[in-house]
Amino acid sequence: MIAALDSESAVAWFCTYTPLEILDAAGLVPVRRYGDAGSLESADTLLHTAICPYVRACLAEGIQGEGPHQAVFVNSCDGMRRLYDAWRDRFPDDLVYLVDLPRNTGDGAERLLAEEFRHLARALGEMTGHEVTAVDLREAALAREERRLSYLRACEGLCGEKRLRLAMAFHSRLYTDMPPCGEPAGTAGGVPVLLSGNLLNPAGLVASLDRAGARVVWIDLCNGDRSFATPTLPRGESLDELLGSLARAYLDRHPCARMADAERRYRTLEETVAAVGAKGVVYASLKFCDAYLYDFPRVQERLERAGIPVLRLESDYADGHVGQMLTRVEAFLEMLE
Amino acid sequence: MDLVKTIKEHFSERLEPSTFHSRFFWRTAESLARSPLNRPQWKADRVSLSYFLAITRDAYLGRGPVVWCNLFVPSELVLGLGCIPFYPEMATAVVAAAGMGPRFIDRAAEAGFSPDACSFHRCAIGLALEGFMPEPSALLAVNYPCDSAPLSFAFCGELYGRPQVTVDIPLPGRPGGQALLAQQLEETAGLLAECSGFGGAEVEKGLAKALERSNQALRYLREVEEMRKRDDCTLYGVDAMGGISVLFASMGSQAGADFYRLLAKELRTRGCAGGDSIRLMWMHIKPWFAQGIFSTLAKGGARLVCEEYTHATWEAMDPHDPYNSLAAKLGNHFLVGPVERRATHLASLAEEYRVDGAIHYNHWGCRQSCGGAALVKQALQEKGVPTLILDGDCVDEREYQEGQISTRLEAFLESLR
Ligand code: SF4
Ligand code: SF4
Repeated sequence: MIAALDSESAVAWFCTYTPLEILDAAGLVPVRRYGDAGSLESADTLLHTAICPYVRACLAEGIQGEGPHQAVFVNSCDGMRRLYDAWRDRFPDDLVYLVDLPRNTGDGAERLLAEEFRHLARALGEMTGHEVTAVDLREAALAREERRLSYLRACEGLCGEKRLRLAMAFHSRLYTDMPPCGEPAGTAGGVPVLLSGNLLNPAGLVASLDRAGARVVWIDLCNGDRSFATPTLPRGESLDELLGSLARAYLDRHPCARMADAERRYRTLEETVAAVGAKGVVYASLKFCDAYLYDFPRVQERLERAGIPVLRLESDYADGHVGQMLTRVEAFLEMLE
Repeated sequence: MDLVKTIKEHFSERLEPSTFHSRFFWRTAESLARSPLNRPQWKADRVSLSYFLAITRDAYLGRGPVVWCNLFVPSELVLGLGCIPFYPEMATAVVAAAGMGPRFIDRAAEAGFSPDACSFHRCAIGLALEGFMPEPSALLAVNYPCDSAPLSFAFCGELYGRPQVTVDIPLPGRPGGQALLAQQLEETAGLLAECSGFGGAEVEKGLAKALERSNQALRYLREVEEMRKRDDCTLYGVDAMGGISVLFASMGSQAGADFYRLLAKELRTRGCAGGDSIRLMWMHIKPWFAQGIFSTLAKGGARLVCEEYTHATWEAMDPHDPYNSLAAKLGNHFLVGPVERRATHLASLAEEYRVDGAIHYNHWGCRQSCGGAALVKQALQEKGVPTLILDGDCVDEREYQEGQISTRLEAFLESLR
């Protein structure tokens, strides 16, 4: 049973490593938040201006929005951890939880994450009074897998802004309340590219890629295709086994640049470029995100070695400056043609 | 840091990567360090200076396997396994003190590293790209205090073609967290033992010895802390901050224990700084290239009596249970996890050291500290400790506005009178 979106069961989440299946199984309704990119300044009193604008936009939205402010954060980066701190300070009476996430993959990291998931399941059970059982978790995981497959069907032929908006809707709305997909955009023309980075504003930089004549066929972003690329369906009988298997599945996802196994990330990127027929990569990321700041020089080297052209763009999330980028994007696309 | 300037003057003409690989350079540096002209304020500083000169020399001359470490890597583990610890974040502080930060930061920028990242790490990357760093056998990072270290070490690991390991400290308060961390430390020890060729018995003996020495250092450090709480303590924060290196990079060595023993002794016999100055706490790290900020404090009648990173944050360890002991040391650090732990720790330091005010130095690009500064300030102010947040940079002097900082400092001191 899914509760209504505006009910007391709604819980905000922010990072694609959030184990949504456990939240579902605890009777919560996870809703992804994208923040208010237009009023970052209202976060200034609690967060420094050199913190990732997604983090600041989420706090700004939280401060302005009506409660309840239940939220589950992931310890994915320094910025997210500080968002959790600010949120907890601001909304001390709400359910606010920080899920740990190792950087490593492999046996040790799996054990660590499985322990963390067990801890989360117990804690949510205590907080909500709805104990997480193996049956609930299996059911929730099946529903999540169904939703993932349905996204992959729905996004076929969609590109750029439309595709990103659809992915975001699949994360932030009830499954029963999906927006109509609209006409596949740009399938006829445009230069096929893969967009890689952290998280972007569909109305800003991504829309401007469409305008410049790019056909963004795969969105390797945290709010794009990345989390739909691999299943997280756990195996096992007992709750313990299911949580362990879920931990493995989350660590096996297409990796974000904050994970230690960069080699796997680069390989996945190269393979996806070939699989979707992209002619180049637009690497765009939000400012002040260390994971992607340190990643770029390595990615660039790797892709260029593989003969894949790459263009670097940066976003402040509000993207008032995208007009200035157009010429660079157009020149890049021309070079690809 | 006067020694740094003297060395720079001696070698500025031939400052090339090869300089640091020459025995002549290190002989000269060591004799300059010993010379009566180089008089550190505290006898203990001689001990730390010669320790750091010796291990850095050994690292450059390849006298053992070099392991790059970020601030939180326990030096006991590296020393105990017969490797030479090298802390790039500390090396860049020295480079910054010599006024050479910008050169290497610009080199990292050429390679595509954004100016929005921490300049300690950009400078380290620039140094590595220019060939100025000692080649590592392995690179070891811990996921705290910040994201920067695992990320920049990953780049450097690739650059040198050497294994890079990141240890994941679990969030505090998780059942089984310490055991999971201890296991990672044991696996890491395996990698270090491969580098040094240590066998099982040597590993056990090496770690036990390192932990014993660390315990010795801890006992003296606690004495130092007690003495620093006195009104008349003559050790000022600006000098004490050099002790960050000692606290993080020499635990497990005899020098670490000797340093605190000597410091405690000297503090016992010295004294008389006058008890009427404004007592301040410094949070996060200082700008290594600038002295002006500290002259402003002195002129305004203020003394730094306590700093965030120079205190013991762990309990004595069991030399026969090294991995669990080190896991407890690491995992309980106040920077691990939510900022609430840091704020509580700082509030209790402020109380113990009876500070009149506190300064949080926001190093550009340090998300972990700047990101929590507002909440730390809130916690301190709730305890009645006025707090000033200053924006600046610790390594890149171009990002440091001396005039603006002095004006804000003067106004702050005025408000404390
Ligand atoms: S975009 Fe980067 S800094 Fe922002 S929340 Fe994601 S990983 Fe953290
Ligand atoms: S200053 Fe901050 S970001 Fe830089 S190395 Fe230190 S803790 Fe990390």
